[in-house]
Amino acid sequence: MPMKKFWFVLVILVSLLSQQVWAAPLDSSLLAPTPSVQISSIRYAVHTDSATGGKSLRVVLDVNGPVKVTASSNMLQDPQLVITIQGASVGSVANSVVFDGSIAKDLTILQTGKTESQITVNLPQIIDDSDYQVSVLPGDTAANKPFRVVIDIDKPLPLPEFTFTPGLRGKRIAIDPGHGGSDVGAIGPNGIQEKVVTLGVAMKVKALLEQAGAKVYMTRTDDRDVFAPNDTASEELGARSEVGNKNQVDIFVDIHANSFANPQVGGTGTYYFKKSMYDKLLAKTIQNGVCGVYGLADRGIYPANFYVLKHTNMPAILIEMAFLSNPNEEKLLAAPAFQQQMAQGIVSGIDNFFTQAAKLGVSN
Amino acid sequence: MLRKPLYAFIFLMLVLLLAGCDAPTAPAEKDKAMEGQPAQSSSITSTTPAAVSQSTMQITTYQAAKNAEYLVAEKQTVAKSEHPAKTALELLVAGPRSKELVSVVPPGTKVLGVNISKGIAYADFDETLVKNNHSGATAEQLLVVAIVNTLTEFPEIEKVKILVNGKSVDTISGHMDTSEPFGRSEQLIKKN
Repeated sequence: MPMKKFWFVLVILVSLLSQQVWAAPLDSSLLAPTPSVQISSIRYAVHTDSATGGKSLRVVLDVNGPVKVTASSNMLQDPQLVITIQGASVGSVANSVVFDGSIAKDLTILQTGKTESQITVNLPQIIDDSDYQVSVLPGDTAANKPFRVVIDIDKPLPLPEFTFTPGLRGKRIAIDPGHGGSDVGAIGPNGIQEKVVTLGVAMKVKALLEQAGAKVYMTRTDDRDVFAPNDTASEELGARSEVGNKNQVDIFVDIHANSFANPQVGGTGTYYFKKSMYDKLLAKTIQNGVCGVYGLADRGIYPANFYVLKHTNMPAILIEMAFLSNPNEEKLLAAPAFQQQMAQGIVSGIDNFFTQAAKLGVSN
Repeated sequence: MLRKPLYAFIFLMLVLLLAGCDAPTAPAEKDKAMEGQPAQSSSITSTTPAAVSQSTMQITTYQAAKNAEYLVAEKQTVAKSEHPAKTALELLVAGPRSKELVSVVPPGTKVLGVNISKGIAYADFDETLVKNNHSGATAEQLLVVAIVNTLTEFPEIEKVKILVNGKSVDTISGHMDTSEPFGRSEQLIKKN
């Protein structure tokens, strides 16, 4: 019996086995062991999500074989994200990359073992574990496509630059009744117009806030275009944001009614643009404030790339009170009693926001 | 004598390993948002290795779920065209095939063309897209993302800028910001 042959087969088997275990979590079909797996290239781009307008930095490293990655954030001294790539050495790739500093400052690649590399990303500020994702995309040997280590880092929210106190007294609040004048907004099956119901609710919100001692800045108090009739979208929406910006209000509340192709869809939803840590809080407190008014469905809060929310300098939300396209909700939206309840819900949500935001300011 | 079963075992393991390696791999994810990605020779990368003949191509459009909460990818095989990106938008505008989905594009909207330059697709529609568009915020968000996601299915497209009659528009129905080119959004897509 030739012993050599036996050992040869055994060696092949062991190497195949280890390869299989190695590649299994990557779902790879790679069969032949790669003599030396290296990082062959590095590239990056900033991605802007079309739904939310959120920005993230994506760094992609090409690797000519399967690897395993682990990542951890190190926030003890300078904020860092450390990614360990097991199974690849640093090839001829540049060992450092300098970014513009808005999402990451720079990145260095270091070989920390024979087949282990470490990437350190220096960050401008502390990030949450939910603010980054590191993954390996499988390669395709047939298409000669390399394995890719993908590092996604969300743009960090600015640190709190606002300090809030509890209560409504003395607060400066901008209220924007959606649409108006030449822009009617959505129209219900029975002809109820969005611009009319948003103004109805907004005027009731104004009265309640003023009773509580707040100073209210309205983008409009009657049926008109805020900039000019038949103006461009950026003129009109810009003029609304400007009411909040020039009056340096504490918060901006944009009131709308929703509409969708399917008349059965209904409920309340609130939108925010992630520009500070307070925007989501404001969306949450207002959504909670109106939740359950007349048994409307709770559609939740959503990040959205909305023009007015993006162009205001303070925490801002857009509430879609109910669906005008839904005949039942159209009836409700037109009813003064419903409008009053909706306005009360919005005001209690605003009040709760200042309570919560004041705590947030203290803990930071 | 001992070695025979060992050989048999080794052989068996090898067969199993090879069989395992032949198992279909998960559809390769594409890394979007990257510049300098080599353009594929074919105009469409299909995510399933289904037999697509030389005269047809597979197009994925994104249509809205009936509850207005998310978008659903709808794949269809159509005759190959010279402008697959424009064809994809035409299929999007034509609306869903499934009765479980609804269209978010105003009826009668025409696709004037799609120009692709440096990874940005300029998607040009006629004025029907914005004129008398009374869509609520929810429908508008779904519409913008449906256009962006349908076009970013093509590997050479990273971002999408929406145009009306060749000119930039800042919004579609008064909520969404469409003033710049934007990238794909995964969060509105229904995951199975």
